[in-house]
Amino acid sequence: MLLLGLYLLETLLTGEIAYYINERFNWLAGVAGFTLLALGVINVIALLSEPESSEPAARAAPELLMSAPRVTHGNTARWHALAILSAPLIFGVFLPARPLGSAAISSSGIAFSLNVSSDQVFSIAPTQRNVLDWVRAFSASTNLDEFIGQPADLIGFVYRDARFEDDQEFMVARFTVNCCVADAVAIGVIVRSPQAAELSADDWVRVQGKFEVRDFLGQRTPILIAETIERVPMPERPYLFP
Amino acid sequence: MDFSTQLTLFSTRFLGIFIEAVSFLLLGTIVSGLIEVFVRKEDIARFVPRNLFAAVAAGSFLGFLFPVCECGVVPVTRKLYQKGLPISVGVAFLLAAPVMNLIVFASTYAAFGFGPILIGRFVITFVMAAAVGLLFSLQPSPVGLLQPRALITMAGGSAIASLQLGAPQSIFGQSLMRAARVATDEFFDMGRYLVMGTALAAGMQTFFSQEQIRALASDPSTSVVAMAIMAFVLSICSTTDAILALSFANFGFPAGSLLTFLTFGPMVDIKATLMYLSIFKRRIVIYMVILPLLMSLLFGIFINLNVRF
Repeated sequence: MLLLGLYLLETLLTGEIAYYINERFNWLAGVAGFTLLALGVINVIALLSEPESSEPAARAAPELLMSAPRVTHGNTARWHALAILSAPLIFGVFLPARPLGSAAISSSGIAFSLNVSSDQVFSIAPTQRNVLDWVRAFSASTNLDEFIGQPADLIGFVYRDARFEDDQEFMVARFTVNCCVADAVAIGVIVRSPQAAELSADDWVRVQGKFEVRDFLGQRTPILIAETIERVPMPERPYLFP
Repeated sequence: MDFSTQLTLFSTRFLGIFIEAVSFLLLGTIVSGLIEVFVRKEDIARFVPRNLFAAVAAGSFLGFLFPVCECGVVPVTRKLYQKGLPISVGVAFLLAAPVMNLIVFASTYAAFGFGPILIGRFVITFVMAAAVGLLFSLQPSPVGLLQPRALITMAGGSAIASLQLGAPQSIFGQSLMRAARVATDEFFDMGRYLVMGTALAAGMQTFFSQEQIRALASDPSTSVVAMAIMAFVLSICSTTDAILALSFANFGFPAGSLLTFLTFGPMVDIKATLMYLSIFKRRIVIYMVILPLLMSLLFGIFINLNVRF
């Protein structure tokens, strides 16, 4: 229990927690971490002082005797629980912490548009918008032509699937996470560049360019025509939080 | 996809769900520990209405008093049973509380606004929880329904025991210590169900494709079934599922199917089902999965076929 609390606090301190949950729940994980620590300490103290206190207590309150057999039989159950509860610790400590990437998308699909009606995004300057803002803008827009010629400056990871027949095209993608990674939804903006073939899946890139509207899979879709593409390190917060 | 990629994916999802859920479980066990120490059996007996219907309805709305989600509600319900809460009231509370609270109201409002989805979600949840609760009142003896562990009343009527254990001036501190120890026990007891449920949910997400399920979106009845399966498999917290439902609306799922997702999901999903096993006998847990499933399917299909928004 102590260890579990320590682990929660450690993920918070190293920032790894951003791989798992939406940052607006960080405080909750922090509270939980400290609570686990406190409970752990209380139990250690209680265990250490038990030999002295348990006997007079049993004499003083006869009903406590009735629970005594349960305690011994509860011990094996407790070891089971302990073994199972250490599983998250083992996963957390021994496996490298990695955020979701391209491999996670193939099983859940990627969204070009979101059903989030938000006009606020239009008040953000085009070069300040991230992948989520653009996807929202595309969804809220009634006339895609308004995006033609707009400049964009995006950071995301490279994603391709079988639908991308032209090897000059790929997607600069991000995951959005509302609560924790269980509800992660992948979103992306299509990018066109002669350099595209040099990039491999999951590379983090910064793409600057201007939008055009072209056909993609038979649908008129805004496509970012890249002017520069540079490789960048993965951001500290790999997910976007809507 | 090779094995190590899948393992890291599984690990990330597993830890994500676990970190999120364990915080809520911990809150629930602490509330439960405080109930153990500070609420007496007589208090429960006094506050539960005599009339069966009123009692079950009160149970359904109890969530507004104890704001707990589906992870936190399990230890609280079990503790209330140990304090003598009638089975039917507890069942209504257990099923309704994950939706019937202000946090979920706020998140559903944020996602869908004030409209048919918001109203439908609360009304249908109430009807389902109350109906299952009433059904359970036909079997008033708890012995046949509950796990032995959930029946044991912990020794001592709280304050009396600690009075004999410690010096009079530290009764409150003693009680808090006892609450902490009860909370620890509960945490270990329920935590293993949470870990197993989380592992299953993460495994399903990693090893099964959601694409086939999404392909069912257009049909008014299969899309309802698809949403029920999604709700069960994803096991996401009821406080945020509304926002995910919004993304399903994007894939073309109609309102009735979304309501199935939003009412069935908080009551029954992989991790909640496993945690129910810490209160109820296995046979009863099966009822508690199947009854809400059938009702939410019927509601969903009926709305898809007959109601136009």
